[in-house]
Amino acid sequence: MRLPVGVSSTDFASAVAEFGQAVGKHWVFTRDEDVDLYRDAFSPFLHEAEELVASAAVAPASTEEVQQIVRIANRYKVPLYPISTGKNLGYGGSAPAYSGSVVVDLKRMNRVIEVDEPNAFALVEPGVSYFDLYHHIQERKLKVWIDCPDPGWGSVIGNALDRGGGYTTANYRNHFDSHCGMEVVLPNGELLRTGMGAIPNAKTWQQYKSGCGPWIDGIFSQSNFGIVTKMGFWLMPEPEAYLRGTVSLSRYSDLAPMVETLNYLENARITSGFPDIASPLNGYPAIGQLQLWNETGPPNQTQEHLKLLSTAKLGYSPELEAYGMKSGIPYWQLWLSFHGPAEVIEAQWQAAQRHFAKLEGAKFHVIDRVKLPIDPAKADAYHEPELGVPSLRAFSIGARSPWNPTPSKGHMWFSPIVPRTGEAIIEANRVFSEAARELDMPLFRSFSMPACFWERCFIFILATPVTEDPATNKRYREGFKKLIAIGGQHGWGEYRTAPVFQKSVMEVYSFNDRVLQRFHETLKDAIDPNGIMSPGRYAIWPKHLREKHS
Amino acid sequence: MNRHRSEARTVHAFATSAAAGLALTVSLLAGPVRAEEPSDPYMGGRAVYTKWCAPCHDPGVIHPGTNALTVKYKGVKPGVLLEWKDLRPETVKFLVRHGISVMPQFRKTEISDADLDALANFLSRNTPH
Repeated sequence: MRLPVGVSSTDFASAVAEFGQAVGKHWVFTRDEDVDLYRDAFSPFLHEAEELVASAAVAPASTEEVQQIVRIANRYKVPLYPISTGKNLGYGGSAPAYSGSVVVDLKRMNRVIEVDEPNAFALVEPGVSYFDLYHHIQERKLKVWIDCPDPGWGSVIGNALDRGGGYTTANYRNHFDSHCGMEVVLPNGELLRTGMGAIPNAKTWQQYKSGCGPWIDGIFSQSNFGIVTKMGFWLMPEPEAYLRGTVSLSRYSDLAPMVETLNYLENARITSGFPDIASPLNGYPAIGQLQLWNETGPPNQTQEHLKLLSTAKLGYSPELEAYGMKSGIPYWQLWLSFHGPAEVIEAQWQAAQRHFAKLEGAKFHVIDRVKLPIDPAKADAYHEPELGVPSLRAFSIGARSPWNPTPSKGHMWFSPIVPRTGEAIIEANRVFSEAARELDMPLFRSFSMPACFWERCFIFILATPVTEDPATNKRYREGFKKLIAIGGQHGWGEYRTAPVFQKSVMEVYSFNDRVLQRFHETLKDAIDPNGIMSPGRYAIWPKHLREKHS
Repeated sequence: MNRHRSEARTVHAFATSAAAGLALTVSLLAGPVRAEEPSDPYMGGRAVYTKWCAPCHDPGVIHPGTNALTVKYKGVKPGVLLEWKDLRPETVKFLVRHGISVMPQFRKTEISDADLDALANFLSRNTPH
């Protein structure tokens, strides 16, 4: 049996036995072959001793069982690491941030407690995946949409707590922002409800977010201050129709005014679907097209085009621009989507075109006009999440295909937030491509485009492969940390990262002698004095481990 | 790019209508899975397949597992797992618990040992014993 550091084998055996009494013996896992199932499938420490691994796992089926587990852990000072579905594979999966922790696997807590159609909200447990919630809604023919990230098997709660994003409209794409009300088992085993849920017999837990007094929901995301056992989410009423169109521009210098126009249109809610920016001339797809590219191959490029791309700097040369104009390949292509009544979204599309028409030579094209709901069996003609339909097609990223004959062992996402300007896209490419070249990292090699999951900012989401070769993985890990630090020097930071990089990322958030991290530590000491809850998650270490790990 | 997209749609239409996977695809999208026939000896295994495997392994290029196996076996074996005639139960169990390439391993809270037995039996139903 593996042991957490500092816990005696007698204490650990007692804790395991008591976990068994709480949840049933067969839901406590201690044999190596069972505990290994909690390894990070995409660990960049593949075949290395430093890989983060659990000592055991325990799988409760109810909030009461979670409370018992937490109380037992306090009694024996056993570190816990809750996971919901453990499927955020590019961000650490189901492995703990501190080796030797006992994983609290919440997958069995899989009840959709409520979906309220007239008020458009859901209340779920952490084991509920996007597939589960989608099927629950479909079976009952409820006219509400979920907003899901690309792989649909993730947890609705887990993704929100990791502050993930999706693809429908701006009000719902930020999964943490679209939550309303939490139930949390605190590190001492007490049960807390946030927002209006703090009122006994609350009537508006999922309808008003902040309750009264300090709004503390944020501290339970990307943290280690409790185990969220229920969470409410606002859902989008099923739209009547969907329209998707492209705006194509032919000059490199169109990038900045294109972004500025997009920002106005999105912030004014003239467009609210997922804005998706491609550079066809640079061979960079819209995110919504990525799975098609992986499945059926990227568009063919002529020898002349490839040669011009190989000599372009930051995605530009006058010759490349001239080639694009001659061949009719847009430099930039913005995919806009609209959800709502047909007459409303047609008018929004018209208004969007009027604004973009100020850019010389802008071309417009309608890709889809869809009456909703669509037949779910036909959703695969689209990038499913943009229509609120979960899928696993995103695993074409990295999987073997005719265009990727040598699949990776996984990937780690490098995902810095940068300003929503054309200048920032170019600046980030300049900074990161120079750094990546020096570090020999397969990132930002040619011109990369950011995504618009959230309003007001851009995010680059680029995959660094995990390989079979430890030396290569080591180089990528070290390079990854350097890229994080270089981003920080430019005022950019990651939105989320795997446990192995959380220390490096939080070091970037160091304003005023790292007061933010010190504040996290003050909270940690107050809320979790025994330091049993997810030690090290987002670099928040309990007192007894702080010196060693900071 | 627009032209590329319409080509891809043709591929999807072909992939969706071409094979026996249609019923499974539809049932997956419609909800938790029930086998069509109550007398189906593989009902349990089929349900596990549909919930956990189908999104990547059903027929068609839109399923990354199928695409990967098609390329890996270059016509020696079908890309569609459901069509394999030499898949042994032990192989299914090993791969589900260990993962391969970008497919992760699956925990017992996701696919229990009993579910895995049923899945292994279902996927090896065409394999001579």
